[in-house]
Amino acid sequence: MSAARDIRCVEFVELVTEWMEGALSDTERGGVEEHIAICPECTIYLAQLRETTMVLGRFDAQPPAEPARERLMAEFRRLHAQD
Amino acid sequence: MGYGGRTMVEGTASELASDSEADLLERLRLGDEAAFGFLLDRYHRPMVRLARSHVSTDAAADDVVQETWMAVVRGIERFEGRSSVKTWLFRILVNRAKSRGVKESRSVPFSSLDDDSGWTVDPDRFLDDSHRWGGYWSAPPVSWRDAPELNALNSEIRQSIGRALDDLPAMQQAVVTLRDVHGLDAAEVCVALDVSEANQRVLLHRGRSRMRTVLESEFLESGLVS
Repeated sequence: MSAARDIRCVEFVELVTEWMEGALSDTERGGVEEHIAICPECTIYLAQLRETTMVLGRFDAQPPAEPARERLMAEFRRLHAQD
Repeated sequence: MGYGGRTMVEGTASELASDSEADLLERLRLGDEAAFGFLLDRYHRPMVRLARSHVSTDAAADDVVQETWMAVVRGIERFEGRSSVKTWLFRILVNRAKSRGVKESRSVPFSSLDDDSGWTVDPDRFLDDSHRWGGYWSAPPVSWRDAPELNALNSEIRQSIGRALDDLPAMQQAVVTLRDVHGLDAAEVCVALDVSEANQRVLLHRGRSRMRTVLESEFLESGLVS
């Protein structure tokens, strides 16, 4: 008899990050993995979370505004000129 | 050698991105402006956002970030490299922002979890409990597998992502930025932001789930998936 918890889609979407982080108890992990195995929609949801991470990894953060950037670069230059 | 132009920094950015931590540190110690510019360009805005959540004004947040960069510039010689440069950077920032917040006597105590609605997917997308299949999807997600934007971000998607990240509550933005945009691992993020592992996971969960929702809207609106 399986000790895994019975997980529905509405619970899956709340547990999924913890599962991806490897932070669930054995019982919960079993329940999540069983659910993934039988639920094509949640399988898609999981893929989307992974794709989200992938897309974010390709996102370049915006640089500081030019005046601030130049000021900071000047400070960096100045400090190194003193060496 | 002049570093005035932005193109110089952009040209070396991919090189710097694949540099090891040790190489980056070495370049910074040697006064390599491209290396410093690389850090500035990547982390400045997330730092401003995070500082702003600890202090009362935009000006105070800018001060805190400026002070942090100065501390980094001056401290790079002594930095022992036991954590990554980026972890160290955020650690300094959070410490300074908290001190500044205390000095300003912010009346609202800072909570690392920040306020949130609690759910990450609209409850209306699931069948309610009166239904035989209560708790299962009523409006399930549709695969993005065929969306070309998964491979190449166009400028519209980039803008949406930028806006959505800016709209996240500060600590969620910090975690998602450090974990998913910049690839720091969970332990590094906990040190950098001074949060527990459990809190970090909650913040990641909420922030990343929100970003998924944003991308889903983008893909549906532009007809990239049906």
